[in-house]
Amino acid sequence: MSDISHLVQFLFSGITVGSVYALIAVSLVIVYKVSQLICFAQGEFFVFGALTMTTLVSKGVPVPLAFFLSIIIAMALGALIQQVLIRPMKNTSVGALIVMTIAISLALRGLALLIWGRESHVLPPFSRGEPIQVLGAALQLQILWIVGITTVVLFLIWFFFEKTPAGIAMRACAENPYGASLMGINTQKTTLVAWAWGSGIGALAGMAVAPMLFTQYTSGIMPMVKGFIAMSIGGLGSIVGSVIAGLLLGLVESYTIGLISSKFSDTIVFALLMAVLVFRPNGLFSRS
Amino acid sequence: MNALKRYWWLILLAAIAVYPVIGKPSPYRSGLLIFAGIYIILAVGLDLLMGYTGQISVGHAAFFAVGAYTSGILTAKYGFSPAAAMGVGVVFSATLAFLTGRPVLALKEYYLAMATLAFNEIVVTLIIGFEGLTGGASGLRDIPPFTIFGFSLLNHLHYYYFVWTVVVLVIASSIAVVRSPFGRALIAIHSDEQAARSFGVDCAKYKTRAYMLAAVYASIAGSLFAHYMGFIAPDDFGILTSINLLVMLFLGGIGTIFGPALGALFLKLLPEITYQFQDYELLINGIILIVVLVFFPRGLFGIFTALRNKIVPRMGK
Repeated sequence: MSDISHLVQFLFSGITVGSVYALIAVSLVIVYKVSQLICFAQGEFFVFGALTMTTLVSKGVPVPLAFFLSIIIAMALGALIQQVLIRPMKNTSVGALIVMTIAISLALRGLALLIWGRESHVLPPFSRGEPIQVLGAALQLQILWIVGITTVVLFLIWFFFEKTPAGIAMRACAENPYGASLMGINTQKTTLVAWAWGSGIGALAGMAVAPMLFTQYTSGIMPMVKGFIAMSIGGLGSIVGSVIAGLLLGLVESYTIGLISSKFSDTIVFALLMAVLVFRPNGLFSRS
Repeated sequence: MNALKRYWWLILLAAIAVYPVIGKPSPYRSGLLIFAGIYIILAVGLDLLMGYTGQISVGHAAFFAVGAYTSGILTAKYGFSPAAAMGVGVVFSATLAFLTGRPVLALKEYYLAMATLAFNEIVVTLIIGFEGLTGGASGLRDIPPFTIFGFSLLNHLHYYYFVWTVVVLVIASSIAVVRSPFGRALIAIHSDEQAARSFGVDCAKYKTRAYMLAAVYASIAGSLFAHYMGFIAPDDFGILTSINLLVMLFLGGIGTIFGPALGALFLKLLPEITYQFQDYELLINGIILIVVLVFFPRGLFGIFTALRNKIVPRMGK
């Protein structure tokens, strides 16, 4: 392989990983916007999405059906958790809420262990075929799926928040829950919808990379942490910011692993995060 | 009976002291309590920072790592005495906390959580990266047992008493700190930073000092851990450990010193009960935590004080 083909290969893997980070970050942002809460259990939806779909496909369910079923199951799970466990904790401190979501993630991880055991599972690729050769680098078809799914999801989210009454209501709840409730918006219902969206998108991230990854019950931890980073670099509440930050993070990671050092790539990523937090606490892309 | 209400902790102290004599624990049993003691030191330190000063940290295991690795490397590779190595670890941790404290603690809530989490990962990835010094991902071996005045604490009961003496000292000093003017300044920062500043409290300075104190405790815990295990690996010091500490704080009852200690003890001994459920263990632990958080927002220590207040007045009157 020539130097160029190496660089292109790193670009592909960076975009792949970055898309996943972006999706997780977006799922975190949606929940954060309406509940002012960062959900540490988001990585578990990643795992549940990937493993539910793997099981369904291995049982002979057609891929498109398995795809939608898995998303719906994750959405229902997220809504259920919000309704039963998060809602009663309205008046507690940020720390207690964080620990609550940690407890939920432990329970979900325990549930995943019971359902799927300790072994890793791989989903067959969404479509079969040889990788495409681009400038000497191999582009796996699944990467196209990942990028495609990410693009579609981001478009849907944009459309939802900008063009539909439900999305505008959700934005209102994020801005000012009390004011929104005075305008006749059902804040509880809106929060529920946001959790369902967030869980579904988290699951989607897991499903999209499931064919390229060995997923097991503990696989959600690292993607979740990287999603946090993307979210923080993007400025916590910004969907656009966190998407850009997620992609950027994937690319930085991929190129540091490839060109500088695989040992210290995480050191560099986390140092970057600290630098952004300290010097630009409202996110890398904030105007102020 | 008011005396019982005030001096209940003396009973606890006696129980700690007498347990090895009466219970004649196996090395495994006393090992569990040694681990629990080490985690109590970590949790109580973090409580000063989180419970009293109100500064969240999802990276406290970083200083646990610094203490453990400083002790491990200096004793196993450079022939330091364990006590001296522990001292170096403490100085190193305090310096690190001093240097990072100001910029990091200027952040609030989630941003602070993220920054401390990042700090934890940086420390761990550096440990993994510098293999020559630290043994990398496969860990650091051959750390000698702790010695005091040439007396080796190889026996598990000796180490039990040593660790728990440190635990008692840490708890006592933490209570002293909380009741001092410095402690009151920390509590003021927690309840309203702006108001505290307008009363002349140098918030950045006090927050950094609380951070340094918590770091020093964690570093001591790390040294104790390294000498007990004889072998340490980066996995023991990752963000999962930091997250576990948070859980201990809220499980036990944050901002009470005894609460987090109780939480640490509970969480370290819980697997002894739930391990027999094998694959159900993780789920059961999660559910227990959820139940405590939903129904007992003041944690295990809240349950304990409520019970004590119910029982003791009746006995007194």
